[in-house]
Amino acid sequence: MTWLVWRQYRAQGAIAFGLLAVFAAAMLVGGSKVASHWHTVFAACSGRSACLQQQPPLVSQAIVDALQLAGLAVPGILGLLWGAPLVAHELESRTSDFAWVQSVTRTRWLTAKTGWLLLAAAACGGAVTALITWWSGPNNAFALNAFLPGQFDIQGIVPVGYAVFAMALGIAAGTLARRTLPAIAVAVGGLIAVRLVITDFARPHYLAAVTTYYKLTTSFTPRGSAWIFFQGGINRTGQVARQGWGDVYPLLPASCQRLIPQGPTPKSASTSTLLSCMQAHGWRGLATYQPAGRYWPFQGIETTIYVLLAAALIALTFVIIRRRDA
Amino acid sequence: MSTAIETRELSKRYRQVSALTDCTVTVPEGRISALIGPNGAGKTTLLRMLAGLASPTGGTAFVLGGTPRQDPAFLAQIGFLAQEIPLYRRFTAEDHIRIGAHMNLRWDASLVRTRLAGLRVPLDQRVGTMSGGQRAQVALALTLAKRPRLLLLDEPVAALDPLARQNFLATLTSAVADADGRLTVLLSSHLVVDLERVSDHVILLAGSRVQLCGDIGTLLAEHKVLVGPRQDAVLIERTHKVVQTVAAGRQATLLVRLNGPVIDPAYQAETVGFEELVLAYMGADDAPAAPAGQNLTTVGGDS
Repeated sequence: MTWLVWRQYRAQGAIAFGLLAVFAAAMLVGGSKVASHWHTVFAACSGRSACLQQQPPLVSQAIVDALQLAGLAVPGILGLLWGAPLVAHELESRTSDFAWVQSVTRTRWLTAKTGWLLLAAAACGGAVTALITWWSGPNNAFALNAFLPGQFDIQGIVPVGYAVFAMALGIAAGTLARRTLPAIAVAVGGLIAVRLVITDFARPHYLAAVTTYYKLTTSFTPRGSAWIFFQGGINRTGQVARQGWGDVYPLLPASCQRLIPQGPTPKSASTSTLLSCMQAHGWRGLATYQPAGRYWPFQGIETTIYVLLAAALIALTFVIIRRRDA
Repeated sequence: MSTAIETRELSKRYRQVSALTDCTVTVPEGRISALIGPNGAGKTTLLRMLAGLASPTGGTAFVLGGTPRQDPAFLAQIGFLAQEIPLYRRFTAEDHIRIGAHMNLRWDASLVRTRLAGLRVPLDQRVGTMSGGQRAQVALALTLAKRPRLLLLDEPVAALDPLARQNFLATLTSAVADADGRLTVLLSSHLVVDLERVSDHVILLAGSRVQLCGDIGTLLAEHKVLVGPRQDAVLIERTHKVVQTVAAGRQATLLVRLNGPVIDPAYQAETVGFEELVLAYMGADDAPAAPAGQNLTTVGGDS
């Protein structure tokens, strides 16, 4: 059976391998440049963060955008182009009538095909994310934004989960639809919908966010690449205001309101007086965030979710193939 | 005589449509049986259920002593060739031989190579670029490489030209002869002449029901064409089963299944040809099939 899978997919495999090699070469060359640039900047600033923050961005936004696009699209495209036809094309071209009357059960046939293809998806997703993660190392250290959607989604191990899920979705859609093109359409829609829902609604809640209170007169910045949901002030009665004077102003006692100058932004000298006034009236700073140390737990949780979804889709495919008339 | 296939009231419904209704037939072992019927009569449905590719909605099927199922031991005994001659178009014949070797425990690769070499079919050419006749030969050779005990062939010659058809059927008959009684073939087609040449047992489906099932020689002996005065046709109908009546003026031509000798001296009895018999029964598809007899299913009524 393995030989059949190899024979059927060796051409696509060679193309994918070639593209991966080109991508790897580009990333390795580009990545070394970024890394050496980072070292120069780091040495020039002697590692002081205030100095580092004033440096221009390490890599141009266009490259980051392109990488994000590639990191999001590659696993999906692979999964859909290889997954959707896996069963659907055999049904369309009637070759299932050849394969399913050899002395191999449909279950074994499907096991071999889905097994190797899921493995291939995981390998491709893994290779792409390994390169992007390595490439992004200096930039992560510089920009401290690894938790941001768009960064989180293309680094670490989640791309492997996406690739496996996309493959499973393509296979299941092809099995249900029995035709490749509708299956690709369904799978693309499904992939985008699932990604959006999980990213926007599930991911922030994998672990309960940490809430920290701090003195207003001292600034607070969570360590490392934390994912900050909210930062502002809270008064004695528990009223919360986002950073920004417009939101804070109505909640302030009159004595503090008077300290806010008429201009659009208060001068820095008056800011510290104002903050002291607020602190004297019982205001505290408030930050809600996911600490940087949760990056890998979050990666693990998200990957697990996608792998479990993929497993459910593959199980469904097996049930359909076994039960449905060929 | 042992049977390779036995079905009892086998039925298949797709939502509202009945593809096969109460099909009770037997297929003798070691022979080539013909499965005849107009398009949509249920031939493909029957063959796919016998191969285990589709499951019945009613009745039972016994194929080589067991129920058709997804099981390596059962599949190893069955050779199935679908109407569309399903092969991987971008693969060569040699690729298919290797695939077969990986997907079957019993696989006679040299048989395929010898057969195809004898027919001058190139092994290293993509199957998709071959002629229809060559493709069918490749598919048949691959099906035979399993050394199956039962071949289920669904209109494999329908799309072939007469010469390719003849070659295909020659391969088939020689394979049956080589197998020395161990190979049973059920071959569907609507090319009656071809079937008559290679088979000696027939199953006729029309309107999703079995109209006729039995040994061709016996069936031909049991049927006669009677020509005589139209007004006496009623008397004939009392004793014999009239399959088809063609009236012209005062004369009637009846195709009957005999139930004893024809006594009426006004009627002349003539032997019936296979094609004539088949066409008569195909036209009788709106009548319900009579309950199955010993090895024969009959239908009464006229058109």
